[in-house]
Formats: sequence, C-alpha cells, structure tokens
Amino acid sequence: MLTREEWLPLARKLDWDYSYVREDEVFPEVISGRPWLPHSEWKDWEESFKTSYREYVDNQYEKDMAVQAVHDAVGRIENVEKLALPWLNSLKVHAAALPLAEFTGVVGNLRGARFGRDSAWRTMATFGALDEYRHTQIPLLLFHPLLRLDSQFDWAHKFYHTNNWFAVAARHFFDELTVGQNAIEFHIATNVVLETGFTNLQFVGLASLARESSDHMFERMVTSIQTDEARHAQIGHPVLATVMKHDPKYAQYLVDKWFWRNWRLFSILTGLSIDYLTALDQRPYSFKEFMEEWIIDQFLRTLDEFGLEKPWYWDLLLDELDIYHHMIYASAYSYRATLWFNFVIPGPAERKWLRQKYPKYWDDMDAVWEQISERWRTVGPGPANEFAVHGTAMPTFCDLCQLPLSAGTPRKNTARVLVHEGRKYIFCSEPCQWIFLREPERYASHTDIVKRVLSGEAPAQLPNLLTEYFNLTPDTWGKDVHSGDYEWLRARKDSAA
Amino acid sequence: MPVPLYGFLQGDTVGLLILADDGDTLEALARKLQAAASLRVAARDPLRVVYHDKIMDPAMTVAQAGFEALDRFDVLSGSK
Repeated sequence: MLTREEWLPLARKLDWDYSYVREDEVFPEVISGRPWLPHSEWKDWEESFKTSYREYVDNQYEKDMAVQAVHDAVGRIENVEKLALPWLNSLKVHAAALPLAEFTGVVGNLRGARFGRDSAWRTMATFGALDEYRHTQIPLLLFHPLLRLDSQFDWAHKFYHTNNWFAVAARHFFDELTVGQNAIEFHIATNVVLETGFTNLQFVGLASLARESSDHMFERMVTSIQTDEARHAQIGHPVLATVMKHDPKYAQYLVDKWFWRNWRLFSILTGLSIDYLTALDQRPYSFKEFMEEWIIDQFLRTLDEFGLEKPWYWDLLLDELDIYHHMIYASAYSYRATLWFNFVIPGPAERKWLRQKYPKYWDDMDAVWEQISERWRTVGPGPANEFAVHGTAMPTFCDLCQLPLSAGTPRKNTARVLVHEGRKYIFCSEPCQWIFLREPERYASHTDIVKRVLSGEAPAQLPNLLTEYFNLTPDTWGKDVHSGDYEWLRARKDSAA
Repeated sequence: MPVPLYGFLQGDTVGLLILADDGDTLEALARKLQAAASLRVAARDPLRVVYHDKIMDPAMTVAQAGFEALDRFDVLSGSK
C-alpha cells in the first residue's frame, strides 16, 4: 500500500513529453496565454496546499455542513426580516452581483484546468473550478428564497441575464476577466489581483460589517467562501513569477490593468455598502480606511514581492479613495429606479461622519445631498413622489468600465472623449482610456447604454428603459428606503414652517 | 437637427446626455443641462459654457460653435 506522500505526486503533478503533437498545439498561446514558454520553464510551478481530491471533498463537505447549520439556526426569513433596512439592501446588491460572477470563475478555472502550463497548476485549477461552483450555489441557495420576503431578491438569479446598466458593466468586467480570458491572464488577474486583494473587501470587510449588523448568515457565508479563495488564489503567484521572469513589462501591464478594473467595480460594490448601506453605529471603519489597510498595503507588499512598480496611476487612485464611490452613490440615488435595490439619504449624523472620514471633497458632496434633501422637503414624502425626486435626463457611461461618468470631483469631472478609427468614445478617466488604447481590438465594438439608446436598440424614455430593457418592474425598481420620510427632514420642515 | 452631447455641470456627480438642437444658443444649452441636473445641483448664475477648454460666447448657436455629436461640453455656474 502506497503512503499519501508516495501516491500524491502521481495524482497532482504528472507531466510527460508529447510525441504525437507539438507542445504549442496542446497549449496554444491564444488560450494558454503569453508569453508562450516550453514546459521546461513551468516545470517547477508549485503551490503549498498540495491537496488530494479526497481531502478536498472531505474538507468541503465539513464546510458546507457548517454553513447549512448556521443557515438553519439564523438564516430563516424571520431572521432576515429583523435586519436594518439599509443593510438588507446591501444584501440585495451582493445577492445579485456575487453568485453568477462566481460562476464565470468556474469557466476561467476550467480553462486553467485544461490549458494551464503545468499539471499541478491544472490540478489546483480543477479544485478552483469546484470552489467557484460552490460560491455560485451557496449564495443562490441562501439569497434567492428571500424573494418571499422581498421581490428584489429575485435579482439573485436575474441580474446577469438582464441589460440593466450595472449588469452590462459587471458582465463587461467578468467576461473579460474570466469567461473570455486565456489561462495566464486569468490566473494573474483573478488570483493575484482580485482574490489576493479585492475580495478582502467582500470577505473580510463585509464579513465584519455583517457581524456588526447581526447578519450572522452572511458573515458565515462569506467567511466560508474566503477559505476556498485563500487556497486557489495560490495558483496565480507562481504564474506571475514566471511571467515576470520572462516578460516583466507584460506582467506590469496585467497587474496595472486589472488593479484598476477591480478598483472600479469593487469601489461600488463594497464602498456603497460600507459608507451608506450600513447603519452608522455599525460602521467600524470607513471604506477608505479599509481600502488603505487591507487592499493598498497588501497590494504594495505584493508588488514588492515580485519586483513590480506601483501602477503609473497610483496618485490618481489614492485621490479617488476620497471621492469616487461618493460620486457614484449620489448619482445612483438620483437614478435609483434603474437599479434593483433601495437607497437611503445620508442624514445629518451620517454626513457629519462622512465629513470626518472624507474631509477633502465632502463640502461638494454635502451640497449635492442638501439639494436632493431639499427636493424631498419641497414635494413631501411618500411613494407617489419618488419620481419627483429622481433624475430624468439620461446619465452617461464610460466606454471601458461601462460605469457612470462619475470620476473626478463635482468641480471637475475627468471624462475624456477619444476618436479612434473614426468612432467617438468617452472614458471616465485616464486609466480607462489607457486600458482601451492598449487593446482596442478587445473593446472597440462594445456599445454602452447611451449608444444603445441613440441607435434605437434600447428605449429612450425612462419608463420603457426600466421595464423593457433593464427588466425592472414597479415592485423591483429601486426606491428611497423611507420614501423620503426622514425624521431629520421632518424636523427641518417643521422649523421652516 | 438634434445633436446628442455629453454635458457636465460644475457641482454635479455624473455627466448627462443632452439632446441639443443645432439652432440652440449656448446659453439655452447651458440652461438645458442646468435643468437636467437640478435634482443634485442648485441653480446659480451666470452660466458659462466651456468647449475644448475655451469659454464660449453664450449667444453662439450649437452649430456655429462647431459642436458635433457626442462631444463633451462643460457648464460652469456662479461667479468666477
């Protein structure tokens, strides 16, 4: 009988020389990725977990049972009903954005499982694919049944199947990151940048907020998912080390590009949850503080580890920590019917906290909230007045990230127009334009929501756009959580009278 | 003839699509953007239109100013 140490290498790291085909036919550059190198350059690829399939299954079974136990104890509808309304809406954001994004991770990992350049890499990517399938199923299982409580949870399944503007942006990101990506770029972008860095926002930051918000089900779910991420994220580091050795400029480009693309998406997904959709007394830190401690510091250590430089846009990114997600939240609030979750206006206490945490640009943001509050005060609270406190003109979107043109500051929006091969594009920021220009053939034919409206593909009138193109209904489109009926606003009205 | 433009009002958090008429004056164009952003930005005068980094004559029309579809323009509001 062989011991584990004797048989494990045969199961997880077994390569051989090909005699009937060439190696570059088995691993074509277009799908394995560049730089294309012979296997002799990859043969030392290694990771530290060295898990067998049986160990993997046993371990995952235990974790699934633990999640199920917590679900049975505190994950029932009556438990969720007790959560604060803003946090419940944060859950809706993640219920929609997370599960099928994870499913695209299955596709990316399966590409690594076939086209990764070493057998140990391929073995680990197989587990990674199984992990991501788990990360699809668990949130679907936990979130989608909540539609009995609130029909907006239907978007747990529905979101990525719609042409909602945020779904278009998220698909644009995940299609490139995972679904349509070669194995090398996928593993660097996903394992090194996304999972070693940005998913800490979800799995550490949000887990902590969930605990503060007494949402033990969500806390347990994301913590369980994080244990998988910590394992399969190991794939990317030896991939990056090899690319760095043979083509450091390309390695730098991939890291720079994907750090920016991740920043754009996660500043919205997590920034809004931390700074707006968590009750003030349950916020242990601001989004910026969390980014600085968990993402920026860790990313800089990763760069050091590989001998990489800071991205060229680093100062711009640090400046955006103070403003970007605030610009997005105020814009999204004023177009809330275009989304599938509800919003809350920051009241005087929240605005005081935001001013303390974000002193650099808060004066300008405060003026925006003052104006929106004033509109509610003028028209009066109530569901019937929702659209009197809602944008009517079409908001605009970046031709790279597909997110609203909300970068820069209220004083100076950084959007920029570019004519490329006779067609006009607009980008929210210099890094988005830079990414486009590095690989225009990848992005040039995609049309944003504005171009779809102008071409007649999407309806121009807001009610039709919401229902026919964004697949929303009066029940599911976003509203003000309190229909504008805030105690602090009532007090202001009384004093004005 | 309608001309779709990207409009950015100083003080606002998002750019807006403004359907201008090529016969609109730039003053009227600025007012259109100001009205479209009024939920978020309080109205202030005077309004100045900036196009290709230059402050434009408000009496010019969109056509005279050379605006083309999907160009960017900015509106500054309040005293200089």
